[in-house]
Amino acid sequence: MKLILTGLLAGLLTATAAKADEMAFTSWGGTTQEAQTKSWAAPFEASSGIKVLQDGPTDYGKLKAMVDAGNVTWDVVDVEMDFAIKAAKDGLLEPIDYAVVPKADLDPRFSNDHAVGSFYYSFVLAWNKGAVPGEPAGWADMFDTKKFPGKRTFYKWSAPGVIEIALLADGVPADKLYPLDLDRAFKKLDTIKSDIVWWGGGAESQQLIASGEAAFGQLWNGRVFALQQDGTDVGVAWNQNLTAADVLVVPKGAKNKDSAMKFLATATSPAGQAKFAEASGYAPINTKAKAEMPADAVKALPDAHVEGQINLDMNYWAAHRDEIATRWYAWQTK
Amino acid sequence: MQGNSLRRGSVAGLPAGSGSALPALLLVGLFFIVPVVALLLRSVIDPEPGLQNYAALFGSGTYVRVFLNTFLVAAVVTAVTIVVAFPVAWMLAIMPPALGSIVFGIIILSMWTNLLTRTYAWMVLLQRTGVINRALMGLGIIHEPLPLINNLAGVTIGMVYIMLPFMILPLVGTLRAIDPMTLRAAALCGASPFEAFRRILLPLSLPGIAAGGLMVFVMSLGYFVTPALLGGTSNMMLAEMIAQTVQSLLNWGLGSAAAFVLLVVTMALYAIQLRLVGARRAGGGI
Repeated sequence: MKLILTGLLAGLLTATAAKADEMAFTSWGGTTQEAQTKSWAAPFEASSGIKVLQDGPTDYGKLKAMVDAGNVTWDVVDVEMDFAIKAAKDGLLEPIDYAVVPKADLDPRFSNDHAVGSFYYSFVLAWNKGAVPGEPAGWADMFDTKKFPGKRTFYKWSAPGVIEIALLADGVPADKLYPLDLDRAFKKLDTIKSDIVWWGGGAESQQLIASGEAAFGQLWNGRVFALQQDGTDVGVAWNQNLTAADVLVVPKGAKNKDSAMKFLATATSPAGQAKFAEASGYAPINTKAKAEMPADAVKALPDAHVEGQINLDMNYWAAHRDEIATRWYAWQTK
Repeated sequence: MQGNSLRRGSVAGLPAGSGSALPALLLVGLFFIVPVVALLLRSVIDPEPGLQNYAALFGSGTYVRVFLNTFLVAAVVTAVTIVVAFPVAWMLAIMPPALGSIVFGIIILSMWTNLLTRTYAWMVLLQRTGVINRALMGLGIIHEPLPLINNLAGVTIGMVYIMLPFMILPLVGTLRAIDPMTLRAAALCGASPFEAFRRILLPLSLPGIAAGGLMVFVMSLGYFVTPALLGGTSNMMLAEMIAQTVQSLLNWGLGSAAAFVLLVVTMALYAIQLRLVGARRAGGGI
């Protein structure tokens, strides 16, 4: 019964998404997607008359399935940069039409032929002030269980971040991170393995830190921002914050490609980027956006902490994704 | 083939009701057989024809470890579920029917509550700063929080809780069928309560334990949400590994192969279960 219903629903979605005056936007849900809806979809609907249907969460398996089956119901999808690079290579994405999407002011780090920046974030070290004595200064302290006892939380999935953190903690200089020395990284991670609690999603990372279940951890800066907004007593170290971007892509064969490109133009405009950055604490990828933001909001962005900031190398990750993932999960399950 | 035998069956004059099996068969064919065949196909043609996915599966220490762990978790959960369910089922079996149906209702009701909600509730209860640890520390029973989550203990607690109804229901059926007079007779002959349990109740309830136990074991093998949330990465179960392979690595061939192996094992266990239950029916005629 449930299957029939799902089938019908999928059919209905296909039918509606094919209409010229509608399109589907897919992101990760939660506060991030709410901010995207408010900052991008609402003004876009008002100016273009095209209705933006919200869907989610982003699921790479589902995206591939849609393209493979030739029945693409998503028009714009928020994905991680390393996935976008790999997906473009595998032929899963439409090229971005830069005749429609103005390119001049976009940060070149976060846009390419098949993807245009959504926002960029930093992994920062955050801690529960009630559970940690003193102030951890950087990633090395996350590996110092004598000075800072307690559980620490890291991102569970094989993705840019934890490997780099382990190497930095082990003394690798920031400009010598790539190519990643996996042996060295896992050896370093071994030293704290029994003290690691993993988080699989943003809400979980917040819960672990807020409850003190984990004394500190590697969090997305926007999640820390939200915790602080809620009045949770959380400390944050920006030293060696690790930046990476989410990007917007159009799946190959999207039914509303033209609307999708227009949507991308609105989403990456200075106004769209400024509004989203203010609501989420994530940084804009349009270099003109900050001029439109209140000074307070600019201070909360990763942009205010460029000193010591490290760019995660998405091209390296895209090229070595599978090989790293195999070792990552093998190490985790051991 | 199936369609043929069905038509022949109806010609042979089976009861009129058997015609209504056709939609059910179609449904099974469409939503079970077709996807399973697709799964099997994908596991041997993606990314290229051959058995390399199965070779990778059994050659990879990770997958073998996750397979073994899946069976370990399922076995532990089944054993604990039996131990916890037995007294509850016995109580239900000897309770006055009116009271029994209320308790029954409570058990069934818990099954209808959203699985994710229940699992999150356990997360809140079990964590280091959770209700259980705080209470125990407040009472001075422990000084350090017990590690109740992100490990085998957490998975076991959460899954046993979810599996209990599936164990209690078949057990109650079996226990109700046992004549209480046999226990009274044992007591009259001088058996201690434990002796009566060991030599009468337990052997007579074995079919129920076997049926419930296999059901719980088989269901546990494919479990996803609860182990993913309450377990640590070293307790990863196969379902989570498959989800990762398919969703994050986009390696559908390997994911399909793993899913197919899990399906074959599950079906084999289900066949054993049918045999056991069938044997009980056959023996029940005596």
